[in-house]
Amino acid sequence: MNGLLSLWPRGWTREQRSSATIVAAGALLVAILILAGRLLALLPEPIGPSAAELAAGTLITVELTVLSGLAGVGVGVLAAVAKMSPLRIVRWPADFYIWSVRGTPLLVQVLFVYFALPEIVPVQLSDFNSAAVALTLNVGAYNAEAIRAGIQAVPRGQTEASRSLGLSPIQTFLDVIFPQAFKISLPPLVNNIVALLKDSSLAYVIGVAELSNIGNRVKTATFQPVPVFLTTAAIYLILTTVLTEISGAIEARLDVEQRH
Amino acid sequence: MSTAPAHARSPLITAELVNKHFGPAHVLRDVTTSFFQGEVAVIIGASGSGKSTFLRTLNRLEKHDSGRIVVDGIALTDDVKNLDAIRREVGMVFQQFNLFPHLSALENVTLAPRRVRKTPRAEARQKALELLARVGLADHAHKHPHQLSGGQQQRVAIARSLAMQPKVMLFDEPTSALDPEMINEVLDVMKDLARSGMTMVVVTHEMRFAREVGDRILFFDHGQLLQEAPPAQFFDAQQNDRIRAFLGQISH
Ligand SMILES: Nc1ncnc2c1ncn2[C@@H]1O[C@H](COP(=O)(O)OP(=O)(O)OP(=O)(O)O)[C@@H](O)[C@H]1O
Ligand SMILES: [Mg+2]
Repeated sequence: MNGLLSLWPRGWTREQRSSATIVAAGALLVAILILAGRLLALLPEPIGPSAAELAAGTLITVELTVLSGLAGVGVGVLAAVAKMSPLRIVRWPADFYIWSVRGTPLLVQVLFVYFALPEIVPVQLSDFNSAAVALTLNVGAYNAEAIRAGIQAVPRGQTEASRSLGLSPIQTFLDVIFPQAFKISLPPLVNNIVALLKDSSLAYVIGVAELSNIGNRVKTATFQPVPVFLTTAAIYLILTTVLTEISGAIEARLDVEQRH
Repeated sequence: MSTAPAHARSPLITAELVNKHFGPAHVLRDVTTSFFQGEVAVIIGASGSGKSTFLRTLNRLEKHDSGRIVVDGIALTDDVKNLDAIRREVGMVFQQFNLFPHLSALENVTLAPRRVRKTPRAEARQKALELLARVGLADHAHKHPHQLSGGQQQRVAIARSLAMQPKVMLFDEPTSALDPEMINEVLDVMKDLARSGMTMVVVTHEMRFAREVGDRILFFDHGQLLQEAPPAQFFDAQQNDRIRAFLGQISH
């Protein structure tokens, strides 16, 4: 969907359009979070009376997604770089991390961080923090593959040109390769984050009061599954749509070559 | 282009018995030669004869397997410090330009001086604008590579290399990827550069350029440096049958 991007006045440049879209969609997201309670309160039974809880659940879902999403990009970059390292000591842990995360269900990972990790390392994280850590590690492993593919898609000649100008390997990565790789990786990264928004519902199993958990509680309390499920689904749809809009705009912003 | 005979000056680059393999393929065989300060050396030869590989060993984009290469007094080894020092002194221009597509022409030119030489932003910018003007692109400084023609991109690439004030410039078929009408604008910039006294090693199929601008022609054949000679002797008094055959093909 590129809905918002095409709404702006014809005379605007691509950069103006995408900036406006980023600002508008961001503002929309904040507005949804602030106004969700009041808007939901306008709805009839069984939603109206539970509006405050549903709004709080929505906020938790967004917080989980944004925190884990941002941290997951950082983890993904580190893991991607480590995986491409010529040093085995660096490459193997990254390989193991990506392999184990991608090969096990997210549900198991969430349960592992909450129940098993405290037995191994002496820290007990809250339910929210456990969920955030599990989601970060999960999306990070998928991001690593997306970013690695992006890095590999940058032509060899770019590294050669940079190195022949005297830039160090690190400068070459930061100034030349990564900006190009990130742009290539952006569409799959966005897919991962939209998936993350939906996957955050698994935090439910360790008792995090995110949207799907709240929805379930409201359903149990009111015995009206259809309107409750429709409402939670609608909120998820609105959130994923706004997220997709923002990322589409960022992509357009980075698309210096104007291929779209 | 030079006035004094080349051998009277000190060599900037020497290659001694350089060998290179790619797997079982022996692509450079005992290549021995020197490049002198202010000299324009032109490398020609059939496709696959090792011209690019040889050029790329001179700034160690390729490692040689045996033999010795000395650039500006520094031997090319695995020593990373040496390598960075040499790459700063040796500019390279590629067939495919290899401009950085996410940066404007100006940023392409300022990147290395700012990062490697730590030139302040304003000074780097000033220098870059001068260089872009020198290659005839003063009005295009803020364009991105995709907004420039191939010839313009290659001229930006030349300016980008010059910004590091290299002692020698390597060119690997700089005009081979260009539409015919753009070849001359790039060759003109290179002629200017030669006239200014830049030491140049140029791999090219442009025989007119080789004859006009070259001080010396090096002919590669199956990984061997088969012959080096001044252009007049090379083109007009060629004794070697293989080279004559090659020149015959090229001129058609
Ligand atoms: N990275 C590589 N891996 C394996 N073989 C290579 C590699 N680079 C070059 N070669 C081989 O080495 C030989 C010399 O290649 P090189 O590119 O130096 O030739 P060239 O003289 O520049 O040819 P052209 O005029 O086509 O550019 C060729 O047979 C080529 O296939
Ligand atoms: Mg070549």
